[in-house]
Amino acid sequence: MTSNVPEAGAPTAVPVAPDGEWLRVHPASPFVRGWVALAAIGFFFGRDFFERLLQGRPLFEEDFAGRAPWLVAGGGIVLVVTVLGFILTWYFTKYQVAEGYVRVNSGFLFRQQRQARLDRVQAIDIVQPLLARIFGLAELKFEVADAGESAVKLAYLRMDDARQLRATILARAAGVVPDPSRPQGAAPEAPEYPVLSVPPSRLIGSLLLSEQSFFVVVGGIAAVILSAVTDNRSFFFYLIPAVLGLAASYWGFFNKGYNFTAAISPDGIRLRYGLLDTQAQTLPPGRVQALKVAQSPLWRMFGWYRIQVNVAGYGAVGSNGETASRTTLLPVGKLPDVMSMLALVLPDPGTPEPGRTFAAGLTGLDSDGGFVTTPHRGRFLAPLGWRRNGFATTDTALLIRSGRWWRELVVVPHQRTQSMALHQGPLARRFRVADLVLHTTAGPVSPRLTQAGLDEARGLFDAQSARARLARKRQTSEQWLATVAPAPVAEPAPVIEPVEPASPVVGPAETRPPQEGPQRG
Amino acid sequence: MRTEAIDPPGITWQRVSPKYVTVRLVQWAIGNLVTVVVLSLPLVLVLLGWWRWPPLWLAITVPAVTLVLAIWRLLLIPRQVRAIGYAERDDDLLIRGGIFFQRTMTVPYGRMQYVDIGVGPVERGLGLCTLKLHTASPGTNATIPGLPAAEGARLREQLAARGEARLAGL
Repeated sequence: MTSNVPEAGAPTAVPVAPDGEWLRVHPASPFVRGWVALAAIGFFFGRDFFERLLQGRPLFEEDFAGRAPWLVAGGGIVLVVTVLGFILTWYFTKYQVAEGYVRVNSGFLFRQQRQARLDRVQAIDIVQPLLARIFGLAELKFEVADAGESAVKLAYLRMDDARQLRATILARAAGVVPDPSRPQGAAPEAPEYPVLSVPPSRLIGSLLLSEQSFFVVVGGIAAVILSAVTDNRSFFFYLIPAVLGLAASYWGFFNKGYNFTAAISPDGIRLRYGLLDTQAQTLPPGRVQALKVAQSPLWRMFGWYRIQVNVAGYGAVGSNGETASRTTLLPVGKLPDVMSMLALVLPDPGTPEPGRTFAAGLTGLDSDGGFVTTPHRGRFLAPLGWRRNGFATTDTALLIRSGRWWRELVVVPHQRTQSMALHQGPLARRFRVADLVLHTTAGPVSPRLTQAGLDEARGLFDAQSARARLARKRQTSEQWLATVAPAPVAEPAPVIEPVEPASPVVGPAETRPPQEGPQRG
Repeated sequence: MRTEAIDPPGITWQRVSPKYVTVRLVQWAIGNLVTVVVLSLPLVLVLLGWWRWPPLWLAITVPAVTLVLAIWRLLLIPRQVRAIGYAERDDDLLIRGGIFFQRTMTVPYGRMQYVDIGVGPVERGLGLCTLKLHTASPGTNATIPGLPAAEGARLREQLAARGEARLAGL
């Protein structure tokens, strides 16, 4: 699924089949989706038959023969109804990309018509569960800012069709105008440039050094000591489900994180990962609402970090592991990887020394890198962390760092700030400090500046409102490639060259269309 | 105790209606009195000799402590209501609240997705309403309770108009 040939001038030459054509998903898709139901029917009616066959007994007992036709007929009817249901579902599911909307009609008893605005796209994912992958099929998920279910879910399309549709949607969403002279021409896929990949060895290492493993080791030692002391070995028996659960959890992480690669294209950030079930995510520029770089004490010896993001369409991390993997921008990576991912999310860091500022955010203490930390009087509230808990602002983003052992750096672009609140409890008032909470869309990142000095917090509260207001005004269009202004010069603050902080990687800056910088949506 | 406010200086806060105290009193009564009555049941049963457990001191202490806490909360209500305030600025709405645990929130007009007005049974009797602002973030818990109905309607229209003028994407 990675034959992305960089085509010359790709996103500007353009889409697709005649507008408004209604298409259907692949005819095999209900069977791929409903294979469990088919398998259950087969199992229910076939098991007895096969058992008798294997045991060499007569297929039907004598008194049974009278009822057999009824049973067979019943099974047949269930099967036919199921298959008919599949076919009807398939027949009545149609989709269309036209006039700035993607529309999906589905259902035959309860009809549903849904349309989503293309320029509201927050992310597009192509998911391939194992079975679909065997048949060369893929599911396309179109996310808008409604942190629940996906706005549009098309399961399943042929892999090429899915990629084609993604390219079309992204081209339209980006504001690339269809070329009337080439109505039949398909939207070429935007060229992409690999940025980084996570080797399997590092993924395994990161799993072995996770907090979960720490508790496994502690639990194992406790179990051994307990069994030696109490001379009672029977409770090992009760550990079996726990071990199975842990194995499943490790396998889940490994399966999801395997072969993680990130790439950049004019359509945004592309993430690919998965061993059995593969997934390809596309985050258009400027869709990341907040970002968190975290490092646990165990990871520090190897200098590993994890990056998680809030994206409006993905929603909160619940019990299902899917959202957790979708909101992970980098499962495990070293400092250069972190810096290049930061460069992708924040092409314009808004500071002359991005490398120094972000490095200070990741590992620094006190005021290096321009950070403002908890004042000395507040040190009793966070005896370890007060030298790290702090913030720094650049022209484009607010950086909040925290944690001495569990290090964290949260980055919120100014134009993504929703609302803000200052909090202060009685104890904090005694030390004249206050917390500043930034509200962002649902997700794993919840930015909170803890125990900033009262005057600093109040100043930041005001300044941040002003900065967010300015950034919102500068943001002109949701369509990130659209030629809104006649020339980039017309923008209030043109940021033409995306600057890469400490960039050991990536070279797409010069290949991107120049008007991308200022009006990322 | 005179406390230093955390909100930015130089803002004239609009206060909510003093009648909102009544709403809070009703809520307080429903919540706390029911709790105290339920917690007092063991005491009654022990005194009647129907129950042998819990011991008398425990049966007295638990409802007594709850009652003291409830009365303390009751005494705080008028001050808490006085502490609620809001201010319309050019580009955002400021909302403040709390005495011990203070909170000041700013919601930019351009970020508002929709505005709710809710009226409960007690509020309806007093001619009050509660205004709730929603942004794309579930963390934005911006409510202004105890607004006179006319002021609530005015504020809603005002916010809607300003939001439209400054509408930004996500």
